[in-house]
Amino acid sequence: MLLRAGGRRLLAPGLRRVLGGGGLLADPVAVGGGRAYHERVVDHYENPRNVGSFENDDPSVGTGLVGAPACGDVMKLQIRVDESSGKIVDACFKTFGCGSAIASSSVATEWVKGKQMEEVLTIKNSEIAKHLSLPPVKLHCSMLAEDAIKAAVKNYEAKKAKLGQKGKVTAAEKAAEA
Amino acid sequence: MASRKLFLGLTAARRLRSRAPVLVPLSALLEASTSTSHVAAATQCSGVGPWGMFLSSRALSSTRQVAQSACDAPAPSAVGYRSILPEDEYHKLADETIQGLLEKLEEYGDSIQMDGFDIDYGNQVLTLRLGELGTYVVNKQAPNRQIWLSSPVSGPSKFDWDASTKGWIYRRTGANLVQLLEKEIGEVCGNSVELS
Repeated sequence: MLLRAGGRRLLAPGLRRVLGGGGLLADPVAVGGGRAYHERVVDHYENPRNVGSFENDDPSVGTGLVGAPACGDVMKLQIRVDESSGKIVDACFKTFGCGSAIASSSVATEWVKGKQMEEVLTIKNSEIAKHLSLPPVKLHCSMLAEDAIKAAVKNYEAKKAKLGQKGKVTAAEKAAEA
Repeated sequence: MASRKLFLGLTAARRLRSRAPVLVPLSALLEASTSTSHVAAATQCSGVGPWGMFLSSRALSSTRQVAQSACDAPAPSAVGYRSILPEDEYHKLADETIQGLLEKLEEYGDSIQMDGFDIDYGNQVLTLRLGELGTYVVNKQAPNRQIWLSSPVSGPSKFDWDASTKGWIYRRTGANLVQLLEKEIGEVCGNSVELS
């Protein structure tokens, strides 16, 4: 009921058509079709895990921001990486979107925790979709979650490279002064 | 937990007083959590109008000029194509394509007499059910000027109009929408189909 109310008011027209067509934003208790959010999706919505934010400028944090409000889906997924081991020690997310999008990004944060960065790049949208029993029209949400993970890792590595370059410059300056 | 601020879903805070965790509207989400550069990144991908729809209090202009170097966050892969393909042209092309698919698939369904074959077109969403074999969903995504496909074989994909080949192309794989559907549906149903 909550999702439905939210959907009607704030969805972009494009998304409304998508969801309207599939009837997937219907109240879970609605008649006709009997389609509802899978209990895992509901669980992630009612008991959100890892919702939050890390400091953007923190060098150990990688931020993936994907999607577009016009599409009705924006995910921000952040990872905190332990520099020495390359392990993701913490993750958090904030998502603007439907229940499936929220659940997909929530699952993503759960799955990346404790893993190596190379390992999380192999997380596939199909695995997330299967875990949440996402209906066909919501597969796009799981894809976005996969993209968010990749974007977060990419961001962390880009930041690391940038800081590395700065470090080299400083070292060169020091050498020049010596 | 008193100060816990969560934003989940599309609802405004007032709707959820009864049970859900405290929610904040999208503008607060972005103000609280992201630097301006992330907002810029988000707007960069979404263009002007729709963003304004959600955040009336913030003046966010088209930010394609905002250099990538200004933000550390990577830009999403879908760049705003609204400037390239005008909306009415997009709708014309997309509608033609989807209508064409609908007709051809209806004929196909009649000819192969497959169990569980069902084709439905409602609210501009094309749904093709192939019984136990899965369901295809094809719909328009106007803000991005895309056609979105959900396939039980290849998963989700987003197609952009390619004027040079006069087709809808999934940039990540280079696949053409109609050709992809022909190939997959032909294989899944065991009967070749022509959709162009």
